[in-house]
Amino acid sequence: MMTNLFNQFEIPQMFGTKMTLITLLLPLMLTPQPTNRLSTNRTYTLTKWMLKEITKHLMLPTSKNGFKWAPLLTSLLLMLLTLNIVGMFPYTFTPTTQLSVNMALALPLWLATVLIGLRTQPTKSMAHLLPEGTPTLLIPTLIVIESISLLIRPIALGVRLTANLTAGHLLLQLISTAALSTIKMIPTLSLLPTVLLILLMVLEFAVAIIQAYVFTLLTCLYLQENT
Amino acid sequence: MLSRLALRVLAPAALRSWAPSLSVGVGRQLHTCQQHLAPVPPLPEGGKVRHGIFPEEFFQFLYPKTGVTGPYMLGTGLALYMLSKEIYVINHETIVSLCFLGFAIFAVKKYGPAVAAFADKINEEQLAAAEEVKNDMINHLEQTIQSEKKEQWRAEGFHYIFDAKRYNVAMLLEANYRERLLTVYNEVKRRLDYHVAVRHLKQRMEQDHMINWVEQSVIQSITPQQEKESITKCILDLKTLSKSARATV
Repeated sequence: MMTNLFNQFEIPQMFGTKMTLITLLLPLMLTPQPTNRLSTNRTYTLTKWMLKEITKHLMLPTSKNGFKWAPLLTSLLLMLLTLNIVGMFPYTFTPTTQLSVNMALALPLWLATVLIGLRTQPTKSMAHLLPEGTPTLLIPTLIVIESISLLIRPIALGVRLTANLTAGHLLLQLISTAALSTIKMIPTLSLLPTVLLILLMVLEFAVAIIQAYVFTLLTCLYLQENT
Repeated sequence: MLSRLALRVLAPAALRSWAPSLSVGVGRQLHTCQQHLAPVPPLPEGGKVRHGIFPEEFFQFLYPKTGVTGPYMLGTGLALYMLSKEIYVINHETIVSLCFLGFAIFAVKKYGPAVAAFADKINEEQLAAAEEVKNDMINHLEQTIQSEKKEQWRAEGFHYIFDAKRYNVAMLLEANYRERLLTVYNEVKRRLDYHVAVRHLKQRMEQDHMINWVEQSVIQSITPQQEKESITKCILDLKTLSKSARATV
């Protein structure tokens, strides 16, 4: 019996210490270790292939200055992917449902891209504040709007991931509670929530993968703007 | 303490056993054992599992004591125990976990072989590329060996060419020599012919001169009386000849 639907998002504690950091290290344990072998086992072959594809697709539109972000972005995507998918398992804790974790990822990354842009090419990065072809009268307004949009980015980045995953988990819990209640009373009716649950599960998996991808892609996009 | 003593006793023997290989060269010992990186065969893919998660060794471990149904009885008993004693409480998460399990089983059953084949294909392509490089190298080297052997065979046959060339040169020299000999002969003959022609000319001129001189002196010596006598004799001879000629006819 759950007291509160939000109890599932409580951070696991050990003697009062929050274990968020330890849960963030889970992807490290699940990723296979690199070897010197030419022919590796299936897990490592697939991991290697996936990492190669991710790096290729992230770095293709990026300029040469952005290449030093490749390891960071690839490992970011891999971590978010693992955390989100492992969070789909029952009775697990998903760190990416916590706003603190997502903001801790989003804010420094965004700030780094902005600072790099201001440092290396200030004119060009400032020029992003004014879209092309705007009427002269609208320029001040538009600059203010674009600045706000720029400053909103880290919040949007963090909150997007948090909201998507939290909402997904919540929905899952709600519908499964409905299924559980109706199973005791009207078993035939409980088929509907169960089917819905299965469909939602598929959706949640998709959302988990997509949100991780979107996070990394947007960071890469901000990087492309500023390098 | 005794161990230290033993080590001290054994140390010289150990050194002696190592010494020969060390004296020969450190590299020798490395190559007696197999190289570690290649060609190491790939590790066998995964241990045997039953129902996707339980390793086969677990079933084999329980088999001597509990037979074939042992592990299943254990599983069922454990589950029922957990449920009945409410150690595991059925809540909404149970439904979620059941759906998740169903989804996972469906995904593995449907896409498992395809993903495994894809991973194997990547591996095979990598190995095939490496093999191709190796085979190309081997073929290239074999071709080089073949062409080298052919060159050696060609080199053996060179003396024929040299003999033919030498013969040709000798022929040329001989022909040249004979040509020059002929030239010399012709030149000498020309000069000799010249002298012979001069001699003939001189003789003829002397002869002609002598004949002229004799004729001149004879003509001068002929007196008019002698001339008249010879003419009348000639006429008488002619008449007698004509008479005899008429007689014969």
